[in-house]
Amino acid sequence: MHSMTVISRAVQLASGLVLGLALCSSSFARDDAGRIAALRARVRGLEVETSYVEAITKIQRLGRAFGYYTDKGYFGEAADLFTDDGTFQWGMDGIYKGKARIKELLTRHGGGSTKEGPGLPFGRLNLRMQLQPMVTVAADGIHAHARWREWGLLGVYKKSATWGDSIMEDDYLKENGVWKIAARRYYVNFIAPYQGGWAALKPANGDQKSPIAKDFPPDSPTPTPYARFPAVYIPPYHWTANGNNLRSIQSRPPFVAPKRPDDAIGKLETLADAKELQLARQESVRAIENLQAMYGYYIDKGQWKKAASLFSHKGTYEFGQSGVYIGNAHIERALSLMGPAGLEEGQLNNYVMAQQVIHISDDNRTAKARWRSDVELSRAGKGRWGGGVYENEYVNDHGTWKFTKLHYYVTFWGDYDEGWAKKPFPMDPPSTANPPDQPPTRVYQSFPKLNIVPFHYNNPVTGKPIGADAP
Amino acid sequence: MSIAITTSARFLRDCLLAAVLGALCASGAHAAPAEANLQSIEKSLNAVGDRIQRLQDMNEVTILQHTYGYFVDKAQWRSLADLWTQNGTLEIGGRGVFLGKDRVFEYMLVGLGPIGPHDGLLIDHQQFQCLPSVAEDGLHASIRCIAFVMSSGGWGHNYYEDRFVKENGVWKFQKLHGPFNMYSGYKIGWLDNTVLNTYPEKFPPPPDLAPTVIYLTYPNYYIEPYDYPNPVTGKPMPPPSPRAGGVDFGR
Repeated sequence: MHSMTVISRAVQLASGLVLGLALCSSSFARDDAGRIAALRARVRGLEVETSYVEAITKIQRLGRAFGYYTDKGYFGEAADLFTDDGTFQWGMDGIYKGKARIKELLTRHGGGSTKEGPGLPFGRLNLRMQLQPMVTVAADGIHAHARWREWGLLGVYKKSATWGDSIMEDDYLKENGVWKIAARRYYVNFIAPYQGGWAALKPANGDQKSPIAKDFPPDSPTPTPYARFPAVYIPPYHWTANGNNLRSIQSRPPFVAPKRPDDAIGKLETLADAKELQLARQESVRAIENLQAMYGYYIDKGQWKKAASLFSHKGTYEFGQSGVYIGNAHIERALSLMGPAGLEEGQLNNYVMAQQVIHISDDNRTAKARWRSDVELSRAGKGRWGGGVYENEYVNDHGTWKFTKLHYYVTFWGDYDEGWAKKPFPMDPPSTANPPDQPPTRVYQSFPKLNIVPFHYNNPVTGKPIGADAP
Repeated sequence: MSIAITTSARFLRDCLLAAVLGALCASGAHAAPAEANLQSIEKSLNAVGDRIQRLQDMNEVTILQHTYGYFVDKAQWRSLADLWTQNGTLEIGGRGVFLGKDRVFEYMLVGLGPIGPHDGLLIDHQQFQCLPSVAEDGLHASIRCIAFVMSSGGWGHNYYEDRFVKENGVWKFQKLHGPFNMYSGYKIGWLDNTVLNTYPEKFPPPPDLAPTVIYLTYPNYYIEPYDYPNPVTGKPMPPPSPRAGGVDFGR
């Protein structure tokens, strides 16, 4: 940086000396030239930053397209999303390399045809929902990583119905301007029969390989062995820090555009200000998606301290009728009401983060978002469903987004075996052992009672506040 | 990483500053090149501005789709119908096509029940995996999305292939098309307790137009076409094998 400054100053100086004072020492001309040069640099900066936000969007798109292909037996299309020498590590089975091998791998697991075109046979269910992307693009702009959650509804008519739960950690590469999946590590957490669900699973014996791996052996083994649920295993995160140096949850710090001179250059400077702010707010949308996804992955595995560190110092946390906990230490304490740090064997704590509606303030300083969470739990051999809605708030703290308020409104809790309709559970009251700092901000009951969770935003078409509709 | 980007931006700025100053001095720094400079900057700004606007558009149509889901959850049919253009359409399952915002409202109210929410009746329609695409004109958009239904009756998994149009700067639903994949009860799930697709005569009010496609739900096979080409190859989707959906497919 310093050397370039020196060089550019030298160039200025040389130009001035060669061409004389008449042209280049006029402060007016030099100021205009400087402003124009600065504008050009800002345009280039905008292009780089736009490519960054587009990269996140394109990687989200790749993952979602993958799911829509595998759902319906378009395994060749799914394999085409990979680089030519892309790899797919399937659970403990091992690593398959190259598009042809990946296509056959997906076809065998999904029950398609290796000889005919796309499709599935009668009675084959292969719905694999791709959720909760946490995307990190490298500084070089051509490498990236993402973590995804896959929620599978699988089965063979009249023979089997199963739930799938997996985490994916991917590497991506931009080749000739096109983002592709370079490596996918697919960590199967469980494949659970519908009857009994995940809570009834016993620790697996043997090598945990699928029958498919025996007929269709991988090119190399899974490098790091792991155990599925009911063991608690955390697939390695592609990020190592959750603080200020993680680009995925950053955006431009809040800013207010300065007043520009009322001249031709000033008009363009004002235009550039507006574009930079618009882009920063879109970057913030992605940063908050990443932040919420990261929070969800930590909650999944009982990483209370990491999750609590994503809040600002005065952040608040309220879950159902828990009451309000204030500040990182108290939030960590509140989270630990869910179980011991790191969870115990047999405990499942899946909180899916989805259906986001994110709004960034005009100055890129604060944000509000509505999210949906489905919950799959297991405690002491009993399975439980949950569902609810978040209305959260965030702050852009010198360029890093943090939670200032997390509020989860419980829609329902329900017993796994009998379902939420037959056997709903009420919410827990505020803890007496670990009491909140403040009582619940809103008193309500969960299913079979139903409530409209207040919307932080107006109807996107009419612009009117959203409340209960007139009957 | 942000430091690296900032550094490279400064590097570029300094290079450009030097280059521009050099050029200005060499050419005599009169008005014409400055004007040309401004025009080319404005052009570049607008070009990158279009890309930024596409990002915002994708976010806005996703918000519409997600908001639709929240409104279904609690039977907020008036708020829901307000998301449509005056002549927008709706087609869900096999019930046919309903034309116009008023018919969208009537479909929901008569077909699915009074404005809610209603205690004891859960109809959560979770919107998952939305994949938006915005046309080059910036006025049309599409989305593929999933509704994963957890209701008092059990499970549902549907797709959406929806179309949006931007009217006076506001994105609205022009078409909602929701083909069903699978519906089942709770007790044994989709093992052997699946629900057939719906059809027009089963469901008042009757549609304005016949279903655009006749298909069967799980355990049968149907693929709703993708509105986007393959993101890597750029090719449109191939048709499914004519043998897909048969019991011997793949054997």
